[in-house]
Amino acid sequence: MSDWLDWDWLASHGELFAALTGDHLYLSILPVIGGLLISLPLGLACVRWPRIYPPVLGTTSVLYALPSLALFVLLIDFTGFEPLTVMIPLTIYTLSVLVPNVVDGLRSVPDPVRQAATAMGFAGIRRLLQVELPIAVPVIMAGLRVATVANISLVSVGAIIGIGGLGQLFTEGFQRGFPTEIAAGVALIVALAVAADALLVIVQRVLTPWSRA
Amino acid sequence: MITFENVTKRFPDGTVAVDDLSLQMPDGRITVLVGPSGCGKTTSLRMINRMVEPTGGAVLLDGVDVRTVDPPALRRGIGYVIQHAGLLPHRTIVDNIATVPYLLGWDKRRARDRAMELLELLGLPATVARRYPYQLSGGQQQRVGVARALAADPPVILMDEPFSAVDPIVRKSLQDELLRLQGGLGKTIVFVTHDIDEAIKLGDQIAILRQGGKLAQFDRPEQLLATPHDAFVESFIGVDRGIRRLSFFPAEELELRDDTVVPAAATVDAARQAARAAGESWLLVVDGERRPLGWLLADALPAAGHVGELDLAPYGHPFQAHSDSLRAALDSAVLSPAGRAVGVDQDGGVVGTVSQAEIGEVARGRAGAQAERSEADA
Repeated sequence: MSDWLDWDWLASHGELFAALTGDHLYLSILPVIGGLLISLPLGLACVRWPRIYPPVLGTTSVLYALPSLALFVLLIDFTGFEPLTVMIPLTIYTLSVLVPNVVDGLRSVPDPVRQAATAMGFAGIRRLLQVELPIAVPVIMAGLRVATVANISLVSVGAIIGIGGLGQLFTEGFQRGFPTEIAAGVALIVALAVAADALLVIVQRVLTPWSRA
Repeated sequence: MITFENVTKRFPDGTVAVDDLSLQMPDGRITVLVGPSGCGKTTSLRMINRMVEPTGGAVLLDGVDVRTVDPPALRRGIGYVIQHAGLLPHRTIVDNIATVPYLLGWDKRRARDRAMELLELLGLPATVARRYPYQLSGGQQQRVGVARALAADPPVILMDEPFSAVDPIVRKSLQDELLRLQGGLGKTIVFVTHDIDEAIKLGDQIAILRQGGKLAQFDRPEQLLATPHDAFVESFIGVDRGIRRLSFFPAEELELRDDTVVPAAATVDAARQAARAAGESWLLVVDGERRPLGWLLADALPAAGHVGELDLAPYGHPFQAHSDSLRAALDSAVLSPAGRAVGVDQDGGVVGTVSQAEIGEVARGRAGAQAERSEADA
């Protein structure tokens, strides 16, 4: 093992790893937040008007099927070699997970609860904010966890156009024939994904002490 | 007072859920809407707080058409309890109870104080206040549901099969609890159930609805049991309505005889004489504090001794002479080997005994008096 891992190189590149990890987080988390901001109103609309849900779901699935690399290349003409070129496709991908979760979350409000809330005088936006959305949180959080982990993994593809956070360690390590660098990239990405997921679990526990699970 | 004036609800597909319903639900009383599924009882209830809008007629609350009141405002002034409680899963019990006060803009402290008060009123320990609904049993959740409906002290409370989903023992305790609370609060309660026994137990008046939302009969429970208007009502009430009706008449009206009661210290001779004097073959033996010991058959007495030394037949269960109903007295008589019911006072001391035939006479007398009164009413 010590034959192919260059420990000295690893020890001397802490700053590089920190910088790339920061980039990686930024590139993967911002699209999740953007995706959530789009999915909430879209999911609400799908619950309010159930007829638009199948076409919305179909569209997000088709978009998810588009190869990321193709999208990056397509976007370069408009956004250049900028973080946005990577973040736009990633945002689009999160929709295919988050929209159904927002819809399922809102539909998970038990009928007696919805009824009782209405009968007590909750109406409109107040019912949404104080009753329906809070009850949808566990299902939406499950979607956020999937989207976050998926994005942390997907960002590395952006390295091909030079914007890939820790993914750069793959492209560079490959070009230089330097396995240590590739191994460092894999380890850091996995660690980042596990840490982000664990953090979200903690956030969910804090947000939903009322949930059985 | 809630008034239904020729209320009809026809759904877009043509189904008629409620058909020309006219009813008056007086203040401070429990009005029960009962009937088989599809009889429109829940639909009728929901027209009171505008969860459903009638397609014909009007529902008036103290003379005001509810359709002239903004729904959220209307609903905050009407308590609502449903099956499965429908508590907000993400709020603690204290905040669940305080829901309507919060909506009405009470400050947090006052709303929570009120909620704690209700927790106590409903017999729930203060420790559940900080818990979440999933940590409570079904019966406890239902109590919280009732507390929540009472929180803003609304004059009217709607209850839609509130006790249907809990087991029979919890259901009975919730029913007793409701009657106890109502005794002190005097709310105008509209209660929907499919269970006629629950209706008879809780209702000051009962509206029996049949399929298609037609009113079959609207009466006080004892009147409903005495004179069902048609075969539907009669079959809905069930076969033993004569017996069940007895629960509306107090056992206090019975004349209990104590000449059939002998102390355990009495001699066999004295017992024989008592039986002869009373003209009865069974005597009830009591201890020094007049608590019942058992029945003694006078024809089978030995030559000498005291009655306390003899084998006695079990006395079954006595009834409370001053607080039970004729139904309890009759039940006690039917179970007694002597065919006589044992009436006791609060301390368990025997007041006297009464036969099935004597109970029957009093019951017939009550029924007759009531029939005359309702004819006079009409």
